[in-house]
Amino acid sequence: MAGLVINNLNLKPGKCMGVKGLVPKDCKSFVINIGKDSSNVVLHFNARFDHEGDVNTIVCNSKEAEVWGTEQRETTFPFNQGDIAEICFSCDKSEVKVKLPGGHEFKFPNRQSLDIINYLSVDGIQIKGLNFD
Amino acid sequence: MSKFEVHNLEVHKGQTVKIKGQISGHAQSFCINLGKSASDVGLHFNPRFSEGTIVCNSKKSNSWDSEERHKHMCFSKGSEVKFSIELHGDKFQVKLPDGHQISFANRHKYEKITYMSVEGDFKVTSFKYD
Repeated sequence: MAGLVINNLNLKPGKCMGVKGLVPKDCKSFVINIGKDSSNVVLHFNARFDHEGDVNTIVCNSKEAEVWGTEQRETTFPFNQGDIAEICFSCDKSEVKVKLPGGHEFKFPNRQSLDIINYLSVDGIQIKGLNFD
Repeated sequence: MSKFEVHNLEVHKGQTVKIKGQISGHAQSFCINLGKSASDVGLHFNPRFSEGTIVCNSKKSNSWDSEERHKHMCFSKGSEVKFSIELHGDKFQVKLPDGHQISFANRHKYEKITYMSVEGDFKVTSFKYD
C-alpha cells in the first residue's frame, strides 16, 4: 500500500514540522522523505528495526534527480514497535535538523541547499497527525 | 498559492479529521476538499468572506453537484481556527470553530477518504485524524 504523500507543504526555512505516527507491531522499517518532490529528496529518513542487514539503526540519505547520495547512519534508535512516535524536522539552506522521540537531535546536510520543503512522503507507519509551526 | 494536497490518506467511516490553520488577513475565500482525488470530492467546504457564506458541494469525475449554502461565518480574517470533519456513512459532519455544526450528505457514499486538499487564503498549521 502506498503511503501518505503531501505536496505544496511550503515549509519555510527554520520552521518545524512534526510528524506523529503509530509504528506497527510488525514494523521492519519506516521511511519519511522530505524535499522538493519524489525525485529530489533533501532527507530520506529510514528507521530500520530489522532491514537490509541493519538492526535498530536510522539510515539517512538524499536523492537528487533520482540519484541517491551517500548514506549516513545514526546509532540512536528511540523507536519501539507498537508505539506512537513523533519526529520533528526543520530545514535551512545548510542542514536539516531532526529531533527524535526523547529529545535526541541530529543534523543531516542539506546537499541541495533547498530552502523550502514542499514534499513529504511517509511509508511504513500509520500517520496520526502533522503540525507545522 | 498552490494547493496543499494530501494523497493516500486513510480516514475511515467513523473517523474525524481535525484541521487547524491561519486565515490570512486579506482572505477572500478558502476551501477544504475531502474525497478520493482532485476530481472526486465528497465534501468541498468553501467559506467565502465576500459573501459571508459557507458553500458546500461535491464533485464526481470533475463535475460539480449542487451547492448548499450556509450563512454562518463564525470566523474572521487573520485568525487561527480549527475545524473538525467527521466521516459518517450518510454524511460529513463539520464542526465549526464556534461549535456550530454543518452536515453535508455523503452523496457518493464514501466509506473511506484518501485525498484531502486545502486551497486559498488558509495556511494549515496542524492536521490530525483518528
